[in-house]
Amino acid sequence: MTADIVILSAAGMLVSVFLMVGQKALFTTIRLYGAQSLLLGVVAVTIAVSEHRHDLFVTAALTIGLKAILIPWFLMRMIDRIGIHREIEPFLNVPASLLVSLALTVIGYRVSSGFPVGARGVSHHLIGVALSMLLIGLFLMVTRKKAITQILALLTVENAVFLVAVGVTSGMPLVVELGMSFDVMLAVLVLGILVQRIVGRFESMDVSRLSKLKG
Amino acid sequence: MNLLVWMLGVPLLTAAIGAVGSPRKVMEATMLGGLSLTFVLCLATASQFLGGTIPMAFGDTLRVDGLSALVLVLCGFVGLVSGAYGVGYLRRNEARGLVNTRMRREFYGLIPAYVFAMLLVAVSNNLGILWIAVELTTLASVFLVTFHDRDTSLEAAWKFLMLGSLGLGFALLGTVLLFASGRGSLGEGMSALNWTRFMDVAPTLNPFTVRLGVVFALIGYGTKAGLAPMHTWKPDAYREAPSPAVALMAVGMLNGALYCILRIHMISMAALGQEFSSELLLTLGLLSVLIATPFILIQWNLKRLLAYSSIEHVGIMVFGLGLGVEAGVFGALLHMTYHSLAKPVALFSAGTLAQLHSSSDFDRIGTGTFTRAPIASGLLVLAVVIITGSPPFGMFFSEMTILRAGFLSTHTTATAVFLAALVVLFCGFGYQIGRLVLGPARDAADRRRPAPERFDLGMVVVIGAAILASVSAFYLPGPLTALIRAATQVVWGSA
Repeated sequence: MTADIVILSAAGMLVSVFLMVGQKALFTTIRLYGAQSLLLGVVAVTIAVSEHRHDLFVTAALTIGLKAILIPWFLMRMIDRIGIHREIEPFLNVPASLLVSLALTVIGYRVSSGFPVGARGVSHHLIGVALSMLLIGLFLMVTRKKAITQILALLTVENAVFLVAVGVTSGMPLVVELGMSFDVMLAVLVLGILVQRIVGRFESMDVSRLSKLKG
Repeated sequence: MNLLVWMLGVPLLTAAIGAVGSPRKVMEATMLGGLSLTFVLCLATASQFLGGTIPMAFGDTLRVDGLSALVLVLCGFVGLVSGAYGVGYLRRNEARGLVNTRMRREFYGLIPAYVFAMLLVAVSNNLGILWIAVELTTLASVFLVTFHDRDTSLEAAWKFLMLGSLGLGFALLGTVLLFASGRGSLGEGMSALNWTRFMDVAPTLNPFTVRLGVVFALIGYGTKAGLAPMHTWKPDAYREAPSPAVALMAVGMLNGALYCILRIHMISMAALGQEFSSELLLTLGLLSVLIATPFILIQWNLKRLLAYSSIEHVGIMVFGLGLGVEAGVFGALLHMTYHSLAKPVALFSAGTLAQLHSSSDFDRIGTGTFTRAPIASGLLVLAVVIITGSPPFGMFFSEMTILRAGFLSTHTTATAVFLAALVVLFCGFGYQIGRLVLGPARDAADRRRPAPERFDLGMVVVIGAAILASVSAFYLPGPLTALIRAATQVVWGSA
């Protein structure tokens, strides 16, 4: 039962990443990221209940509060405030991007098959999902022009790492976990300030224009 | 109260006072006083270590061994030098009316905060805290990169933050995987992530998971160190950030990132034997030195030139570590020490030239700077002679140690390529700096007049640092040598 919920949620996270790749509206992409974080929270709660690890409730609360609600809200408010064009303009079109993502998922699963079978017998799947998310996140980062989509790609990579942390190791020590969440929040804030400065200066969030420095 | 807590608390308090903002004189005095005290506390910690007790705090979450002590002393030193030069730097800009309240608060707040984060990196025994500290260094330095608020500084900061965060994501995954590899044997709670715990149970870790974790962690921390091919943020950030902040990046951050790489390398050596991570480091090091070569030859900006020099030097250190022999490790740590002493001189003298000409681009500075700014130009030449590894200065000896270790080891071909790249780099630097300093002076019709050179605080700091860097070639204080030996022992003892 526990294993089923965990695997289902992890699969849901992978699906959300694929939808992010296929999605063109900026707001929907942010909501997808929120859903993805919510699923990560579900994984944490499930493991916390089944293994009686109370630390993980804190992790789950932080994940849901911060990544499923606060960060998406912050990003949406930022877009509203600077009032930019709300479509994503990828360098690569959607069907091709989806095909690449599929290939990356296969690679992620191939690597994960070398892992020893964990306590719950699901580690292998979780690592497969996490590595695929990581690779697709990297791919999104290089093929998207908008600053916000690059931030979302970065946050997806972060979620992939936390999936391994929660699912495979049953969570890092609590103090470390708190520190990490704090850092992620701070990083998003700093990124937000930077985006606002970029928009104020270039009147666009298109980071492909940032190409003066070479050599 | 605990010495380590004081050592971390002082720069943090300095940062807090600087960020609140107060009269200029008070802020300057706070920064100078705070960073001097920090350096003294670093020395005290190191001497406590040399005296035989291992300084620890919060259980053994913070712990100082030989390697930590060496990095602490070097970071404390560069913190003080950069802080002092920074005060002079801001005064110069202030005199020209280029500084506003935001800049003052950012500068006096972020520089001590950056120093705090670097010192935290150097004393973390816990891999989780280590990661958090590295992330803090990144966040503290972003707004130093955007300090001048130009179009290009936003671009540089964006690249810096994106690549840095991605690298840190990788490093975090590496840390998590290492943690996962020791399920059961590492125990519970905070101490389960302790580096010392990892070393105790290294042989029982799951080899496959460790291997994957080590690769991710080395790539992640390698990004922060600026190893090729993850180095692309470096030239941009160095050009845009003010010179005192660049010195913190080029020496403090570089040493800190190298420290993380070493910790991971040691876990890998203890768990998997020394070949696996050594080969990886050797490849990354050689690649960094090779990639720096063409860019130095075609460079168009003085501070970017020094960024490629920093990529070269981290490449040299990592190459030495990757040779898999004790002499290579010793050479690398010796190189780290000499680099920490010499690099600030190069950056500050270049920064002075850039400030006088209001730009660090070669075509804006123009050739023949010796006639316009003899002291800064002379110091730049001296610094470049030192950092290109010319005898009789220290980096010649550390590079010779690494080369000798390389030719005596099994990696002779790699060492030969490495040597060839070093020769090209030496010539490239000679060409670029020679042209800049000694080339034909601007013709009389050129009406852009650079500001005249002044004997101010900034200049005093550069001259002092230059004397120190030159003297270090002939005399390294006994305790410092003892620290380098102790650090070598820590690294090599784990193989």
